[in-house]
Amino acid sequence: MMTDDMPEETAETLREARDALDDGFFPLKLFQDEDLHELEVERIFGQSWVLIGHESEIPESGDYARRYIGDDPFIFVRDESGEINLLFDSCRHRGTQVCRAEQGNTSHFRCPYHGWTYKNNGEAAGIPQKTKAFQELDREEYGLAHVPRLESYEGLVFASLAEDGPSLEEWLGDFKWYLDIQLKLPEGGMEVIGEPHRWVIDANWKTIADNFNGDSYHTAWAHGSVVDLELGGEETVGHAGTGESMDRHIHCDGHTTSIRGFEDEDVFLTYPDEVVDDLFTKDGLSEAQWQVARQALSFTGAIFPNFGFLHFGDTTDDPNKDVAPFFTIRKWRPLGPEQMELWSWGLVPKNAPDSFKERMYKMYTSNFGPTGNFEQDDVPIWKSITEAAGGQFARSQNLQLNYQMGMDWMSEMSLDEEWDGPGFAYTENLEEGGMRLFHEQWYEMLVGNDREDGIGTSMNVEVES
Amino acid sequence: MKLSGREDELEELLVEREVRQFLNHEAELLDARELHEWFDLIAEDISYHMPRRLMRENTAEVFSGDSYHFDEDYGSLKARVMRFDSEYAWAERPPTRTERYVTNVVVTDYDDEEVEVENNLLVYLSRGDSEDHDFYSAKREDTLRRHGDSFEIADRKILINQTILSTDNVSIFL
Repeated sequence: MMTDDMPEETAETLREARDALDDGFFPLKLFQDEDLHELEVERIFGQSWVLIGHESEIPESGDYARRYIGDDPFIFVRDESGEINLLFDSCRHRGTQVCRAEQGNTSHFRCPYHGWTYKNNGEAAGIPQKTKAFQELDREEYGLAHVPRLESYEGLVFASLAEDGPSLEEWLGDFKWYLDIQLKLPEGGMEVIGEPHRWVIDANWKTIADNFNGDSYHTAWAHGSVVDLELGGEETVGHAGTGESMDRHIHCDGHTTSIRGFEDEDVFLTYPDEVVDDLFTKDGLSEAQWQVARQALSFTGAIFPNFGFLHFGDTTDDPNKDVAPFFTIRKWRPLGPEQMELWSWGLVPKNAPDSFKERMYKMYTSNFGPTGNFEQDDVPIWKSITEAAGGQFARSQNLQLNYQMGMDWMSEMSLDEEWDGPGFAYTENLEEGGMRLFHEQWYEMLVGNDREDGIGTSMNVEVES
Repeated sequence: MKLSGREDELEELLVEREVRQFLNHEAELLDARELHEWFDLIAEDISYHMPRRLMRENTAEVFSGDSYHFDEDYGSLKARVMRFDSEYAWAERPPTRTERYVTNVVVTDYDDEEVEVENNLLVYLSRGDSEDHDFYSAKREDTLRRHGDSFEIADRKILINQTILSTDNVSIFL
């Protein structure tokens, strides 16, 4: 444990957190803590693979988009040779940002201060009056800095600020099995529609991380208005642990997904027949993955630390219209202990008919994003947790939040031994092990241990070895 | 000639006055959160669209052709209105305290049936048990259709200024 290089107070906070996690608790105060925030930025966001965007956002040479990892601004850009780069947005001369727009297309980035110019692959191209002013300066050494590591998985681009560590492949681990179902089901894969929704909210990033790591319990309460109005089917938004659906909570290599579906039925997330018949393919999937996709009604998932996705069927924007699916990916970017910026993208099968793509994007915005009928009601909840965490009472009373649902002494829980996919598949969605799994990794990274130390075992039932 | 020119101006003035009265009335209903009464002002062929604003190097007013916050027809807008009747619509419990300021009203075209009108909207929002406040600022492009002795809204485009929103959500109508 590398806690000797941090203030004693922070080390003590983490020791307390360790004790709390062992009992299925998480201290409320940790949802707003200035010292921990700095440690999180350094040890979690500085070490993890963080989502940057999707390749389809910058399809042409010169296409770029501003992106961030923690506090650091980057340029996500496709260069003239078609390669994707992630360049630190700071002129090598005085540090000025050279990219001003949110998105665009350019062959060069020009610094407004003294006119240094960079190609879209980051190489320094022009230094005004160089022959007189900077005779000895080697232009090749003065390109924009590249992020240490940049990798793609099925169109999703992730970056790591760490020079060393696990590859993206290793980071995702066997969870790729579940990611593949979302991304490879349609022939040609998925693409992003338009530009991401971005909004800044006064809530700690761990509140939404908790939510995406298997909070099936909240759905019917927090989104009761959607149920009342019949904008989502009973099996999609109804109470966890009820109904006829086949519910699974999966914990796999540190990441999680919650699945609802119907056994032995052709559900395919309620994609219309024209898409299922013409586009869905077994080419990139195993028979077992295909069967999960076939029976699935919805997926909610999270990749540690700040990537979430929702792939839902059986929703509508109008109770008098047919249901349709939507697919969104999102990231939560911490801006401080009590603030984050949400980024949320709507995706569609790349080769689907335009009219269906439009309908699917409409389903996304009707349900999620700042105007979504679901998400409108989530955010104030996360904000209120953060506010309650920030005062002295959470500290003085050492208030503990309860994540014990599904611990083997709390409720009956079992693993689906027949499950063909990787990881642990719990037969109930009334369990909070996904959140505990998230907390374990959060803890391990903050104390300087290997994140792998927090993902090895079942978070609920005892598994016979 | 001169006299008929004055008459035209007078007619334009009266149309503009009607439009202003209507927009003020509409704003009042929304501020009072009388959403069903507000929805009575919506035409059945409504297009209610709020595109995502973009930020580009060299263009001031640019909006996404693909991404949006709202793209509602009558049925989906009605569902959004009805949702707030639910006791689980937590975002508006308690309701946001708003005041809408409708200004810069310009009638750009009109005939016996419809009026095209541009206007600016500033909404003050106060939420929760807090002194904090937020604003939405937008230009609106409306098509108002004559309906009885008033209008109904047949088309509304909401061109917001922010590219990154600063509120938890957008749980009010603009």
